[in-house]
Amino acid sequence: MKIKEIMIRDVISLKPDDRGQEALDLLFKSKISGLPVIDEGGKLLGMFTEKSVLSYILPSYVEKVGRFIYQDNPKAISRKLTELKVVKVSQLMRREVITTSEEASLTEAARLMLTQKVRRLLVVDKEKKVLGIVARCDILKAIPKEAEMSSTS
Amino acid sequence: MIKKFIFIIFIPIGLAFLVRRIGLNFQQALSISIFSASVLGTLFFWNLRLSFAFLGASILLATGTIDLDNLVRASSLEVILFLVGMMVLIGLLKDAGFFAWIVSLIIRIKNLTAKRFVLVISLISALLACAVDEVTSIIFIVAAVLEICDYFEVEPTPYIIISILATNIGSAGTVLGNPIGILIATKSGLTFEDFIIKAFPLAVLSLFSMIFIVLFWYRRSLQKLDQKMKEFGANEMLIKLVSVPPDRQTEIALSIFILTLLGLAFSHRLDVFWGLKANTILLIIPLVSAALVMIWKHDKARKFIEKDVEWWTLLFFLFLFAQAATLKYTGATDVLARKIVNFTGNNPYFLTSFILWLSAIGSSMLDNVVLVAAFIPVIHGFQMLNGYLEVLWWALLFGGCFGGNITLIGSTANIVALGILEKERNIKLTFLRWMGIGIIIGLVTTSIAWLALLFLPYYR
Repeated sequence: MKIKEIMIRDVISLKPDDRGQEALDLLFKSKISGLPVIDEGGKLLGMFTEKSVLSYILPSYVEKVGRFIYQDNPKAISRKLTELKVVKVSQLMRREVITTSEEASLTEAARLMLTQKVRRLLVVDKEKKVLGIVARCDILKAIPKEAEMSSTS
Repeated sequence: MIKKFIFIIFIPIGLAFLVRRIGLNFQQALSISIFSASVLGTLFFWNLRLSFAFLGASILLATGTIDLDNLVRASSLEVILFLVGMMVLIGLLKDAGFFAWIVSLIIRIKNLTAKRFVLVISLISALLACAVDEVTSIIFIVAAVLEICDYFEVEPTPYIIISILATNIGSAGTVLGNPIGILIATKSGLTFEDFIIKAFPLAVLSLFSMIFIVLFWYRRSLQKLDQKMKEFGANEMLIKLVSVPPDRQTEIALSIFILTLLGLAFSHRLDVFWGLKANTILLIIPLVSAALVMIWKHDKARKFIEKDVEWWTLLFFLFLFAQAATLKYTGATDVLARKIVNFTGNNPYFLTSFILWLSAIGSSMLDNVVLVAAFIPVIHGFQMLNGYLEVLWWALLFGGCFGGNITLIGSTANIVALGILEKERNIKLTFLRWMGIGIIIGLVTTSIAWLALLFLPYYR
């Protein structure tokens, strides 16, 4: 079985100029932890996730300091939350996105998900145009079906 | 891009022809041109510096300029291992919340005023740079400065600049402050104790002159901060927000660290006591501490080695040291040293000034480790002609550290701190805005070192 047989073609996506807060609201509404950012030509630019928002609102040095020093929200976080209304998705998104092709096998997609620690894979063509998306649960549902089919044949 | 590659190819070739004309042989000219290509590569393509280091060392081997045994010996593994040990220890300190505690200490300064703030961040920047290393310490100072400026709603830039200036000055105070400290110590035979009694006082004197100047230079910003402090009722509310009580883990980590520092401070005496070669204990102590850390935190031992040790930088150093040592191996630096001595009439005053100012100006543009690595064989060359001249090593140390303040790319601490400022506050500092205060502090502190080195017999 190929990825193109199970992928979802109707991909909810964001535009690079969308505002951070709107994008976050869309994540909550869609009950999903990340969405692809696609330009007008359908080309994949990056991935906007809950993690992108968290890493924006917390200070960048928090990892280096080793511990968060406040019990309560400091001003910086409130300021960044306000900025989220104007900051563009393109400034927040992660640019490195793990992708696969529509001709890839289910097990290859599963390997990518496992080794790259991602929950979903974007399916793109050679020009990086988004064709669809496949989630971990889609793969998990399809693999047993594939196994069943090969055992009956 | 193409222009840069043309520079990397043609400048070294030009240099090779030039040094051939002044009497160096083919191997010597080759070692100089490969080293200069590597240095230019690092300057133009900082992110690809390791590729240039690998290629340079490979060409040196392939052309027979140096053999494998000597290349390995020249890579200064002792310096690399010392840095590995210290990086593991710093990883533990971070993990145990030591740095978060330091940040909270700065935020909780009692009866905060603008002057007191400048004084505290300058002193802590310098001392922390002395105790850990400048690149690590600056991150925590910047974190504290940003939190405080955020609270009082003032522009953080002047205070970030002050912290950087103090960090670079402080980094000359001990062997630990800067990678060039340990590099100079191992190559010159100077001990940790020598650094404490000779480099530290000069760093403190330079620090106070810096504080004096910045208080005047940023007087308007300080007035504004004072006003805001009155408006907000000092930092009382901020203190209430902060909560990092040092727990047992922090205390144990801090004890290991203090014991390590004490061990390092007495390393020379221990060397003498056990009849070991100079600086043996200096290199053993970080390794023993790192070993103890990994036994204590055995479930994180791999993390300390894999994540906290910066292998990229260390590998770059290793190959850089090997290439620089090739200059000595081929005799190129001895010939150059002789030429300089012939030209200047072998005057130690001149040699000291030459090394101090050249390394200060050089390190304002280049990574100071690259510069010091190149200078070390030249100083060995001078010493062959003059006998041991301790003052030249101090000139190299102070030039290499204080020169970092002259430009905004002068040292790694500058780049790291200004990077955080840009990311957190979207403030991109211009070259000119740095230059004013940078040049003044660079010139004043280097001049203090210059006067001390020329006129105090203590440093000879």
